[in-house]
Amino acid sequence: MASGVAAGSGFLYARNGALLAAALAYPFLFRQSFPQDLAIKIFLFGGLASAWNVLGGFAGQVSLGNAIFFGVGAYAAAVVQTQWGWTPWAGMLLGMAASAGIGALIGYPCFRLKGHYFAMATLAIGEVISTLFMNWQWVGGAVGVYIPLRDDTWKYFQFGTTKLPYYYVMLAFLVSALLLSAALLRSRMGYYFRAIREDQDAARSLGVPARRYKLAAMGISAALTSAGGSLYAQYVLFIDPHSVFPMMLSIQVVLIAILGGVGTLWGPVVGAMVLIPLSEFTRIYIGGTGSGLDLIAYGLLIIVISVIQPRGVLGFFRKAGAA
Amino acid sequence: MKRRFANVSGMAMAVALTALLAMPAAAVDKVRIGAIYPLTGPAGSTGAELKDAITLAADIVNGKYDLDLPLARTQGLPNLKGAQVEVIFGDHQGKPDVGQAEAERMITTEKVVALMGAYHSSVTTTASIAAERHKVPFLNPESTDPKLTERGFRYFFRTTPFDDQFAENFFQFLNDVKKQKGAKISSVATVYENTNFGTGVNNAIRKNAAKYGYRLVADVAYAEKGTSAIAEVQKVKAAAPDVVMPASYTADAILYMKTFKDLNYAPQAILAMDAGYISDEFKKTLGKDGEYVLSREVWALDLAKKKPMIAKVNEIYKKRFGRDMNGNSARSFTGFLVLADAINRAGSTDPEKIREALEKYTLGGNMMIMPWDGVAFDPKTHQNTKGRGIIVQLVSGEWYTVWPFDLASRDVVWPMPAWGKR
Repeated sequence: MASGVAAGSGFLYARNGALLAAALAYPFLFRQSFPQDLAIKIFLFGGLASAWNVLGGFAGQVSLGNAIFFGVGAYAAAVVQTQWGWTPWAGMLLGMAASAGIGALIGYPCFRLKGHYFAMATLAIGEVISTLFMNWQWVGGAVGVYIPLRDDTWKYFQFGTTKLPYYYVMLAFLVSALLLSAALLRSRMGYYFRAIREDQDAARSLGVPARRYKLAAMGISAALTSAGGSLYAQYVLFIDPHSVFPMMLSIQVVLIAILGGVGTLWGPVVGAMVLIPLSEFTRIYIGGTGSGLDLIAYGLLIIVISVIQPRGVLGFFRKAGAA
Repeated sequence: MKRRFANVSGMAMAVALTALLAMPAAAVDKVRIGAIYPLTGPAGSTGAELKDAITLAADIVNGKYDLDLPLARTQGLPNLKGAQVEVIFGDHQGKPDVGQAEAERMITTEKVVALMGAYHSSVTTTASIAAERHKVPFLNPESTDPKLTERGFRYFFRTTPFDDQFAENFFQFLNDVKKQKGAKISSVATVYENTNFGTGVNNAIRKNAAKYGYRLVADVAYAEKGTSAIAEVQKVKAAAPDVVMPASYTADAILYMKTFKDLNYAPQAILAMDAGYISDEFKKTLGKDGEYVLSREVWALDLAKKKPMIAKVNEIYKKRFGRDMNGNSARSFTGFLVLADAINRAGSTDPEKIREALEKYTLGGNMMIMPWDGVAFDPKTHQNTKGRGIIVQLVSGEWYTVWPFDLASRDVVWPMPAWGKR
C-alpha cells in the first residue's frame, strides 16, 4: 500500500502546506466556540488514532487498551499541579515516560499472545488500571482531580474564554503525531513493523527482532496517547477514572483509525474528520430529544461505511482514483 | 492523475464540512435557558424524567396555574413584560467533556441567559467551569458532591442539599428522637463501601458526629460486593453503638441486613444513607426482614399529606408524562422555578444582573414542593442553606416519611424491634 508521503512529489508538499495553512486560518474564519471545539476534538482524536495506528496499524498489534495511556497522561498533568504545584507541561513529559514504561510492562508478557488474545489482554488490563485509579486515594480516588481555575497562563496552560491556544496546541499534537508516523513509515523501523504485521514468523526468520520492535511500537504509541491525555485534562480541567479510562475511548480510537484507513498515514485523520463531526452533529440536532436517535444514526453510518468500503474512507479516494 | 482526483474530492469534503458548521442564528424574543442533562447513555431514563419535570416547570411559568409556586399565577416573566421562557435542552451523555462543550455552545451559539444541570456531579463540575469563564449563571438542582460549592465560583449556585447536609440531618433527627421519645442515644457506628460514595458519607458523618456531640465508636470500611459480612458486622456489634449508619449499594445492603439478623444484632436503629437500602430490590428480597430500616431521602410522594400542593403538581405531571415524580424530578422542577424566578426578579436578561439576583434570592418553604425551609444561597459558596433531606422508614412494605416531624406521614418506630419479637 503506497503511503502519501512516500511519493514525496512537490505537489504533495504543496498540498500538505495548503492543508496546514487552512488549519491555521480556520479559527479566524470560525470564531464561535462550537466549531472551534469541534476542530479541537478532531485534532485530539486524530492524534490519538494516529498513535494507536503506530501499534495497531503499522505493527499490526491490535490494542483495545489505549485508554490506559490516555488516562495516565491526563492524571500526570493534573496531579503534578495539585500535589506539587508543577506546570502541567512537566506532567505531560512525566506521563509520556510513565506511559511508555507501562506500555513496555504490558507488552513484555502480552506480546507472547497473538491476534485476538493480545487484544483481549489489553482490554482486561485497561479495566484493571481503571479500578486501580478508582481506589488510589493520593490521586483523588473515585472523586477525581479538580484542576484549580487560573487566569490565562501558558505556564499552567489555561485560557478562559479564548480557545485559540488550545486549538493550536492540539493542532501541534496532531501534526507531531503525523510527522512521527510519516518518518516511521519511511524508516527501517517502519519496514520492520510492517514485516511483523504481515507475518511475524517470516519476519523473525529473516532476522527481525520481533519482540523488541513490538515493544518499541507500544512505547511510541503509549507516549503519544499519553500526551493527548495530558492536553485533554488541561482542556476540561476535571478528570476522574470514568472520564479518562473508559473502555469506550479505547474502542473509539480503533474505530476512527479503521474507519479512516488502518495502517495509512492519513487514515486516522480522515476517520476523525468523519466520525467526530458525525457524533457531534447527530447529538446536537437530534440528541436533545432524548430518544437515542442520534446514536442510532451514528451507528448506522459507521455500518454503512464499513460495508461499502472495508478499507476505510481513504479507500473511496483510492478506488475512485484508480477507476 | 490518480492523486489529483483524491485531492479534489478531499477538498470538496472539507468545503461540505465547513458549510455544515455555519449555524443558524437564534431569534431572541424569548428568554432562553439552557438545560444540560444525560438524555442518552446509562442515565438516559433519569435524564428523560428531569427533562419532563423542567418542561412542566417552564409551562407553569409561561401559563397560568393556581399553585403556590413562583410565577405560577402570572403568564411569563412579569418584570420582563411577560416574556416567555424557552428551555434549550442539551445532551451530555454522562460525559464531562461533552457537558462542557454543550455549556459553551449554549452560551455562545444558542445565546442562553443562564444554564442549569447536569445531574452527574462530574459533568456539573466541567459544565460549570465553562459557565464561570463566560460569566453566565449556572444553577445546579441535583448534584450532591461537596466539592462543587467548595470551589467558591461566582456564577455557580446549588439548590439541592448536599452530602454534608444529609449527614447533618442524621444527627438533627437523632436529637429530635431523643426529645420526642426520651431515647438514650450517644454513640453511632458507620459501615460503608470503600469507594467515592461510602468514604464521602463516612467523612461527613464523622465531621457531624463531632459537631453534634455523638461518639463514633466504630467505622468499618468494606469492599463492594463481598460474599460475607460476618467479620464487619461483628466489629460493629462489639463496639455496641446505639445507631448503625450504613452506606451500601443494593447487593451489599441486602447482605448486611441478612447478616444483622443472622448474628441477632439489633441496635436501636439502622439509619441508612439512601442508595441500596432504598432500592426496590432491598424491599422485595428481604420482605419482613428489611422492615423498620430508616433511610435518608430527598423527597417522597407522601409529603403531600402535609403539603397538598405536591399531590396537585404530581397529578399534572403524571397525567402528562405517565409516571409519578420522584426525588430527582422534584429537584430539577424546583431548580428551574428558582432560576426563572431569579431572572424575573433581576428584571433583565443580563447574566451579571441574574447572578446578583440569585445572590439576593430568597424563597419560603411554602412556595415549593420540596421539604425544605426555603431557598437562600450562602454568600460565599452559593450553596442553598435552607435545604434539608427527609428520613423515611420501611413499615409494612411501604416507605413513610417520619422526619422532619412536621412533615411526617407516620410516627417513627423507635427502637427497631428485636429480631425474635417480629
